[in-house]
Amino acid sequence: MPLTPTTPTREAPANVYSAVYKALLWGMVVSTVLYALGVGRALWQGTTITLGPVTALGWGAVLAGALRLDASCLMQLATVVLILTPVARVVLALVAFWRDRDYRFVIVTGIVLAVIGLTVVLGRLGLH
Amino acid sequence: MLYTPLFVGILFLAACVAGFLGALLGVGGGIFIVPTLVLLFHLPVKIAVAASLVSVIATSNAGGSSYVEQHITNLRLGMFLEVGTTIGALSGSVLALYLKEWVMLILFTALMLYMAISAYVSRHADDRRIAAGGFTEVANDTWSRRLELAGSYHDQALARTVEYNVTGSSVGMAISYLAGMASGLLGVGGGVLKVSAMNRYMNVPMKAAVGTSKMMIGVTAAVGSILFYMAGLIHFHVVAPVALGTTAGASVGTLVMNRLKSVVLKRIFAALMLYLAYGMLAKALELRFHIVLPNLG
Repeated sequence: MPLTPTTPTREAPANVYSAVYKALLWGMVVSTVLYALGVGRALWQGTTITLGPVTALGWGAVLAGALRLDASCLMQLATVVLILTPVARVVLALVAFWRDRDYRFVIVTGIVLAVIGLTVVLGRLGLH
Repeated sequence: MLYTPLFVGILFLAACVAGFLGALLGVGGGIFIVPTLVLLFHLPVKIAVAASLVSVIATSNAGGSSYVEQHITNLRLGMFLEVGTTIGALSGSVLALYLKEWVMLILFTALMLYMAISAYVSRHADDRRIAAGGFTEVANDTWSRRLELAGSYHDQALARTVEYNVTGSSVGMAISYLAGMASGLLGVGGGVLKVSAMNRYMNVPMKAAVGTSKMMIGVTAAVGSILFYMAGLIHFHVVAPVALGTTAGASVGTLVMNRLKSVVLKRIFAALMLYLAYGMLAKALELRFHIVLPNLG
């Protein structure tokens, strides 16, 4: 005999979907524009690339370089925006779950953020 | 190496194809990107893995946002499984920074062989599942009841809402951990493992599994990317055309996916995986044992 569903179907609230959708969409748009500008500038300037270790610039230098339309800085900024997009999506979901008083999922998303935080700490400690 | 329009153009087109195939098959595209960068552009594996991870985030944003907008993605289930997948990605990335190149190539070959076999064996699975009955005949397990993981989505092809219960949460979490590990280690999204975990073991319909996986692979790849970024392995000039290409390819792939038969797709996928697996194995054997296998072109 087939079993019947034991709990009613529950979707995440609309505001969680909306927050996640906006984060993904804006992350995609901003990083795509920055990458396109960066590639265009690199081709225009004529660049040589080497495949040794890359030293990422500091935030201030990257932003200043991006404003000058420096190809490397634009691409680095695009990469940072891209990497941070899913992280921002988790943060926005956590806030939306908090507003909905869905504390079980505040804990779940909090654990995911803690793992991401641990990754940053390990990277900073020179794991590589 | 000169950064010429030809170099950028070929990289962009190769990434377009990878993103397109990835979207058709519900994966991030990393499984195509890494072999392409290693075999076609002769880039070191770790640089290819780093570039691939960033491109996986790009395809996740492009495809994931669309599925989230349509409410195909099960956000609660995705965020539950992200606990396992992010921990796995962290362990995999740490391993990747210390493993030798030929070991990574062998692991990648093994993953591609698994995916080829899995795609071929499961080519008729969806039809059989639909014929056998719905997705609410299985009871929710304890985790699913506590966290209310059961979901629903509107299926446009069937013109109805499909409801489903969720079971096998522990197995799903374990496989998500492994998928995360594969992601950090090999630069893939781990989408195939996540989709098969949800679809085969957790009673999640294929479309909901693909939509949920598309969202999850972004955060999985982000964890690995952070470590590779800090290790100086992300080459922005390589990543840029790859990310642009996969985004464009994934966007087109998402549009045509529904018009193609899944059986045909899975056969093409299996054949392509076998071909690329042979190339990666040949490179590993050459690096470690100086054995040269015949070049298949």
